[in-house]
Amino acid sequence: MLASTVINHRQHVGLQKLSALAGITHSSLGPNTKYKFIQDETSGESALVCSCFRVLENLELTCGAGQLVYETVQAHQKTYHTGSGCLLFLAGAWSRAALECLQRGVPVARIISAMSEGMDVCLDVCRECSVSTEGLGVAQSESRTATSQGLGPHLSKTPTVEASRASDTTLTASGRRKIKLSRHFYETKSENVPQPPLPKLPDIAHISAGLSHGCVGAMTLVVEASRIQSRSNPQDVSCSTFDVTKVVTCVLPGLPEEHACVMQGCIVLVSHEQASVVHHLKEQHLKVALINGDLSDTYRHLGFKRLKGVQCVSDRSHFSSSTKEEEWMEKTVALLLNLEVNLIVVSGLASEKVIQRCCTHHILVVEKTKASVVKALAQATGAVPVTYATQLSTHCVGAGVKVAIWRDLSSHERKPSTTVNISTVESSGLVTVILASCVHGKLQALEDQFWACAYRLHHTLKDKVLLPGAGVTEMLCVHRLHKQAAQKHHTVQQTRAGTAHNPYRGLVLHLMADGFIDYISTVMVNTGTVSKVRARTAVSQQLQDCAQSQGIAATFSQLFLADEQEDGAAAAAAAAAQVYDNVSVKQEAWRKALDLVLLVLQTDAEVITGINPKSDGPQEDVMLL
Amino acid sequence: MSRLVKKSPSLCTDLPLDNTVICNKLHLLRQLLKSCFGPTGRLKQVHNNIGGHVVTTSTSSVLLPAISSSQSFINLIKTSILNHVSRFSDCGLFAAILCLSLIEQAKQSGLSGSVAIGVNKHLLGLCTSYLQREDCGCKVKLDFCSSHNLITLASSIISSKPACVLTESEVLHISKLSVQAFLLTVPCNSSGEVSLGQIVSISVEGHPVLNSAVFPGLLVDTPDDLCLDKSENQHSNPLRLVVFSASLAGDLSELGDGKIDVHPGVDTDSQILDQLLELVKQVVKDEVEVFVCQKVIHPVVQQYLKRHGVIVIERLGITLMEPLTQLTGAQPVATLNTTIPAKAYGKVKDLSILQFGSKTMLHLQPPGESSICTMILCHRNETMLSELKVACQKTEHVLRLTLREPSALLGGGCTETHLAAYVRHKSMKEVTETVSALGCSRTEHLRGVDGFCHSLESVAAALEHDGGDSVMDLTHAHHWTRPADVMKEQEDSSGFCGCGLMESSPNQRWTYLNTNYQEFSPAPLSGDAAVQPRVLDSFTAKLNALQVAVETANLALDVRYLIQDMN
Repeated sequence: MLASTVINHRQHVGLQKLSALAGITHSSLGPNTKYKFIQDETSGESALVCSCFRVLENLELTCGAGQLVYETVQAHQKTYHTGSGCLLFLAGAWSRAALECLQRGVPVARIISAMSEGMDVCLDVCRECSVSTEGLGVAQSESRTATSQGLGPHLSKTPTVEASRASDTTLTASGRRKIKLSRHFYETKSENVPQPPLPKLPDIAHISAGLSHGCVGAMTLVVEASRIQSRSNPQDVSCSTFDVTKVVTCVLPGLPEEHACVMQGCIVLVSHEQASVVHHLKEQHLKVALINGDLSDTYRHLGFKRLKGVQCVSDRSHFSSSTKEEEWMEKTVALLLNLEVNLIVVSGLASEKVIQRCCTHHILVVEKTKASVVKALAQATGAVPVTYATQLSTHCVGAGVKVAIWRDLSSHERKPSTTVNISTVESSGLVTVILASCVHGKLQALEDQFWACAYRLHHTLKDKVLLPGAGVTEMLCVHRLHKQAAQKHHTVQQTRAGTAHNPYRGLVLHLMADGFIDYISTVMVNTGTVSKVRARTAVSQQLQDCAQSQGIAATFSQLFLADEQEDGAAAAAAAAAQVYDNVSVKQEAWRKALDLVLLVLQTDAEVITGINPKSDGPQEDVMLL
Repeated sequence: MSRLVKKSPSLCTDLPLDNTVICNKLHLLRQLLKSCFGPTGRLKQVHNNIGGHVVTTSTSSVLLPAISSSQSFINLIKTSILNHVSRFSDCGLFAAILCLSLIEQAKQSGLSGSVAIGVNKHLLGLCTSYLQREDCGCKVKLDFCSSHNLITLASSIISSKPACVLTESEVLHISKLSVQAFLLTVPCNSSGEVSLGQIVSISVEGHPVLNSAVFPGLLVDTPDDLCLDKSENQHSNPLRLVVFSASLAGDLSELGDGKIDVHPGVDTDSQILDQLLELVKQVVKDEVEVFVCQKVIHPVVQQYLKRHGVIVIERLGITLMEPLTQLTGAQPVATLNTTIPAKAYGKVKDLSILQFGSKTMLHLQPPGESSICTMILCHRNETMLSELKVACQKTEHVLRLTLREPSALLGGGCTETHLAAYVRHKSMKEVTETVSALGCSRTEHLRGVDGFCHSLESVAAALEHDGGDSVMDLTHAHHWTRPADVMKEQEDSSGFCGCGLMESSPNQRWTYLNTNYQEFSPAPLSGDAAVQPRVLDSFTAKLNALQVAVETANLALDVRYLIQDMN
């Protein structure tokens, strides 16, 4: 059965839905995000969410546009872990722009070509105003030398203290800003100057402070994690990357948030019994076996099809004392003891019986380990992961692992209660971040925030460039779009019949720029100091100013600051640190947002399968075929 | 306990095409498909009513299978269009729109079914014989000495799928790649029977379209723990390879259902594993260096092979089996019970690792001349990527069709308008003979011809979706569109016709489509080699689509009763 909705052209329902959905992101933009409750009327369950992605995850979107939004945001989140809010906001803003165009009678093809051109303009702006991370923050000479040389633990607190207490250093910060800002926008020109052969280390402390976007606590953990990683990798200081695949989070509910910290190695929760094994094994160099899959006799590798309908037929009654499981256990334990394995890391599950039996032989079994951890352990210990314990042989077993009890939490929780740190003699680069909160519902948000910060730093070190944040890039885009809109289309490309000149180009580009203005002013409102109206006025004032003067970049950079300084000292703290954005994340979010709008804009009908006209009843805008 | 339910009587509809409900549904289907047509067509979101995955498309081969109706007419048309698409890939929407408008026109003309059918049949004959003539005014001979026309043909198909959201340079890039890949599948040494190779396409999400590329040979997913240092030393002689189509998972999955009696002391799993290891030992002894299995390989077997320096590729999948055997010359081993004959082994010249975005792939290069190639398609998101993949598959198919019939038709609606003008002129000239042959009156004949030509023209007009005007020039009968927003003074400079062969000139005379005009003989364009058409359609696909449309419409018009079983 099929039904289709034909959408009225001037009031595109899909675009309206997109715009409405984007409304939920308004308050999750900017540094001060607010929590939201999502309540299920039927089940009475509710969820506490903080990010745009989690909101969508908890909504049941059944309409076509909604599904498309969810799929897009999910794909973005999976690769970038940040920027979903920006994506959805702009998708909403530009769908309003497209709606406005439709209402003014602009043909769809014209909207598409002009908006695509506008996107090219914006991506060009990104390319031009991106700043190399090399030697960024050089002006703060002390802090730079401190971090680049100060790989020792005693200096670790310097950067975070500076970031969080930036208000104390407002004076120096503003001085620094001036120098830096003038540098940014000369940077592109000076790119041709031959670089000194020694690559300058990016100043992680400075960069990460600018990338924290309000999550100072989470960013502190990220910086610490990256510091531990680079310290454990001393030969390779020159290429400073932050390997997120080797970072694990361990969530401890019930502990106050101050307990959050970063540890080298991998922290896992184990039971009391296992903790005693750890006691026995501590301060030894252990042999380790890695198992991909479950540790049990019934487990079979992926793709193995079990036989159904197997019957046991025997001529005499079988009085075997041991079951199959028992046999397997004997065999496995004997093999492990023979290989002198003390630690088994299992990516799947291990049955309770196996764990207990191993405990009696002083073998520690760790289950549900992430694949990346297994891989890192394999690299650091020389162990070869196998699927079945029976496959183990001397060359599969790795050496040089240490286990230690990190903290006993038995007073707080009942079940797996002791945290054990698994580390290797040869550095594995594994880092565990401990996140804690007394409020259980907050844990996911904390974890999300941590990963968002971690990926921001990761992408920065990979891209080796940054964008000026806090709306500066968007302002430059607005400015450029306005300029383009005013310009006549010189290069008339005769393509197909009659697609040469686009009389609506200026209008569409202006509306697209309005989307950015909306974005900037929403961020300003969420920063908490101005009303929407004042934010808009400030933005347009800045735009006018820079249209007259030449120093566009410098004026824009002052936007938030000038505004916030008027409003008092509270805002100055936020303004003190230079804010940055990721280039690749932002570009991708913009492009995805526009793709979403263009797809929905071109869609004029939904084809819904599986509608039963008898049971579903007549629906208003549905036509049955 | 069984219960007797009284059977309800069947429902019989007399002259179903006179029924307004049915006509409305057919009209709705026509609107739906018409709005998808061409490069500026609108997209449809296909999903189920409980919020499943959304497919955004305008392609008939994706859209039509989603349409199911209680109305047998719709199913009839759908089935015949899908059948056409599965054989020729292109022109599915053309056929559907033409068919539906032929039905609608025949009903509007008030002709009796048999007359309408007769006239349609006759005119179809006129069209097909004209299209096959050497001097056909809307046909272009394809020249394989230059790739220009092939690229045009490819880009016409790719740009007609707006859900791909491609810019012009991206369309060109993909078109060039498609032609390149197509040419790679044509074997060079043509001794005896020529068999074409295959294009394997791999999609990579999240990368710019311009990163798409074509590689000769085959790319397969790499196992994560692959190291190639051993094979790098052996560049000189090709590597020996074995391919299994049987599962090596160590299970008895091929036994099927039913009860199996087992002695409790017997461990079937380990017995099968032992047998597998025996088999693999032979393979290792035969110095095989690449071990490929379509399905799963038991981890213990993998471990054994890797320890002996063999590169293991498992879960290849059924789709890659055919190209792999073509590439390497290996014969897939389907049983585990016999020794492997030496001739079953294949060869690969070289292996290398190729990093493409997040994907790491193993590149298998052919030992000699081979017509297998791999096309990597990139796009920013899944929706657009899946549509792009469909478009590329269609392009490949259409390019292949040109080998059998090296011609193409003018695109952009020009073939339709040209054909309509030709049919009008020709049938007026031969009206006396036709009328006596068909046994109808001159008026009936005229109405039938009008309906047929209107249908053809309305397909051309369906290319315009933004309220522009569709017009035809009165010399060559090409199709032109005038955007609704173009000012009066710009009208003359509106550029080119649909296919791009003609440029507008001030003394051209026009007529709006679907208005009456004095019939004329459309003149073929003077063969100016410098002007090349910008839009081309597949000749074979369109010719067949025309036949399918007319015959399906005739069949629908011929239906006298509709009998529905109401139980």
